[in-house]
Amino acid sequence: MNVYLDNSATTKPCPAVIRMAGELMEGGWYNPSALYRPALEVQKRMEEVRTLCLTAAGASGGQVIFTSGGTESDNLALLGHLKTRRGGKVLISSVEHPAVSACTEEIRRMGFAVAEIPAGKDGRIDLRQLEQMLDEETVMISVMQVNNETGGIEPLEGIAALRNLKAPKAAIHVDGVQGFLRVPMQMNRLEIQSYSFSGHKIHGLKGSGGLIIRKDHAVRPVQYGGGQEKNYRSGTENTPGILTMGEAIRDWKPEYSDTIRRTKIRLWSEIKNRISDAVVNGPDPESDLSAPHILNVALEPVRSQTMLFALEGDGILVSAGSACASRKQKISPVLKAMGVSVSRADCSIRFSLGRYSTEDEMVYVAERVAAQYETLKRYVRR
Amino acid sequence: MQDLLLVRYGEIFLKGLNRPYFIRALVRKIRYAVRGMGAEVWVHDGRIFVRGFSDLDECIDRVTRVFGVHSVSPALEMEKDDFDSICCQAIRMTEGLKGTFKVNARRSDKRYPMNSPAINEEVGYRILTAHPELKVDVHHPEHLVNIEIRDKAYLYVKVIPAVGGMPVGTNGNATLLLSGGIDSPVAGWMIAKRGVQISAVHFHSYPYTSDRAREKVLDLARKLSFSCCGIKVHVVPFTEIQTQIHEKCADEYTTLIMRRYMMRIAERIARQEESEALITGESIGQVASQTMTALGTTDAVVGMPVFRPLIGFDKSEIIDVARKIGTLEISELPYEDCCTVFTPRHPATHPKLEKILEGEAKLDTEALIARALEGTEVVRV
Repeated sequence: MNVYLDNSATTKPCPAVIRMAGELMEGGWYNPSALYRPALEVQKRMEEVRTLCLTAAGASGGQVIFTSGGTESDNLALLGHLKTRRGGKVLISSVEHPAVSACTEEIRRMGFAVAEIPAGKDGRIDLRQLEQMLDEETVMISVMQVNNETGGIEPLEGIAALRNLKAPKAAIHVDGVQGFLRVPMQMNRLEIQSYSFSGHKIHGLKGSGGLIIRKDHAVRPVQYGGGQEKNYRSGTENTPGILTMGEAIRDWKPEYSDTIRRTKIRLWSEIKNRISDAVVNGPDPESDLSAPHILNVALEPVRSQTMLFALEGDGILVSAGSACASRKQKISPVLKAMGVSVSRADCSIRFSLGRYSTEDEMVYVAERVAAQYETLKRYVRR
Repeated sequence: MQDLLLVRYGEIFLKGLNRPYFIRALVRKIRYAVRGMGAEVWVHDGRIFVRGFSDLDECIDRVTRVFGVHSVSPALEMEKDDFDSICCQAIRMTEGLKGTFKVNARRSDKRYPMNSPAINEEVGYRILTAHPELKVDVHHPEHLVNIEIRDKAYLYVKVIPAVGGMPVGTNGNATLLLSGGIDSPVAGWMIAKRGVQISAVHFHSYPYTSDRAREKVLDLARKLSFSCCGIKVHVVPFTEIQTQIHEKCADEYTTLIMRRYMMRIAERIARQEESEALITGESIGQVASQTMTALGTTDAVVGMPVFRPLIGFDKSEIIDVARKIGTLEISELPYEDCCTVFTPRHPATHPKLEKILEGEAKLDTEALIARALEGTEVVRV
């Protein structure tokens, strides 16, 4: 049996997306900025996708800037907004994806002070600490909707409330790459200024994504050219990416999240029943604080790399921590920020589910994990 | 007028009656190096020339990495009758030079109207007039402007040092134990440089080491392959041996017993490959398995010479060579190799042979080796 459980790294494009990609290559390839009818057609379809994105993020009245994906959107959100500010303090959570955390140096060079918001043991940011850090100097707060390694859902409501109380002028940026569609988002209600998302994490194509900004939120471009995306972003629009992302959003049914959550809980209970030493990194998988699709499990003393390759031999594809950083082979900074020990972090596997994951697969995966665990735990460094 | 590369060889000069054999071997290796460039390699008057290449810099880069080449000079081949144009080219080739120079003309065509001193004088004068910042020094010049009058005229100034050594294959075959680390590729490169055709053995412990680790080792071999004129890599499945050692032998001896198994298997493969020696990247005292006592116990299972060219090198010296030959960047990729997966926390630094033999007695050595050899995959890079 082949089982793909690395949906946080990327997802398999859904049939509707594949079909549409083919059609667009044949007949929808026109440059949407051109003046003739076929181009206008493409542009109209792009505008429909904007509406879909705004609806999905609870951001009606806002603007969607299409980008090449999560990293570009996060960079534009942070650097683009800070270009409109003059000094102050930027708070970035300590468990961010590199798309955000790697901007820190540049933000400092721009003249801002940057501070990390510490995470609690479940990998979610600590609101009490955030409260102490917030003050009138704070110009921006960046947190993620769902942590890509642990699946922890950040307390956005609490963060927004604290901001309103202590730093009303601060903008909040939310990296929604792992949360978009799978976890509800209400930008307008929470008064979140910007929100990034990516197409290939929701069964769309790579190279597609976007940044939603609320009305009146100032962002200046970080790349210059023809100003195609309302002057916020230049470059000919990736129309196949954008339109298929729209198709992926249309094709996503609200009940998927519940099904995925049920499947994940099944996976965890099957693993737990077989391996009593298995421990979850992050919030309790059954609680509302955990995203439907991510389960991070430490299987000490078996190193995650070894388990990963052994499972690959059984047709199961998973990831050790975050795939974006796993070539670097450092202990995950996210797990470190949560206070997870080095040896436990080194034995942590991330299972991330998608809309095609089934309960039968979870039983098979748990069986194979347990069997490999029994064998591999005998051969570890003594 | 045509660009050429004049190739000089080093130690082959020292050869006696068999010098033509070495030169022929070197020419073959240079042809291998410039393949795909449309270049032609030929020997004339005891010297090797390359011409017809499309990219001079690329050609220089390739030829200077061929073992046996001592240095190269980009040269111009032109008609010898137009002396003015010879002078013009000499002026062009000395453009941008600083310090002192000397013109060094040689005339093998004795019918040429000017003799060598006259050529030296005239060309020297014209260079000085065109580049007054240069000075002549006939005893210790910083730059030598060489002009050779043969069937045609040949001009060259720059001398670019090359790697040296001996043409690969002129000194037999040896088999390298290639891990993913920094040392073993350097050791292989150093022995290949002495004219030895190398093959490699890599021990792969899936799932403890990944396909990426295996690919990393093949990338290292690919990096060496150019200078070594192709390498045959034997990828040996090693998981069973490692897990058995781990299960049955005393912790502090697992690394040494593992090394002994690697040597045994490498020797069998070496004999199939008609190799006369094994090569390892060990250096005294670098890790516990590389103390003199430990090296002695690994040597004890091998019936052929084991070459350890890095034996007296510091790690920093090894890293310098690795950087120079381009393997460092690959070696530094983080994928673990089989040597480190089960490393005990306290390996024996002064191992006792009887303890090792006691451990090995618990293993069915012949059957384990036979299965490993049976599962060995050969990859040519």
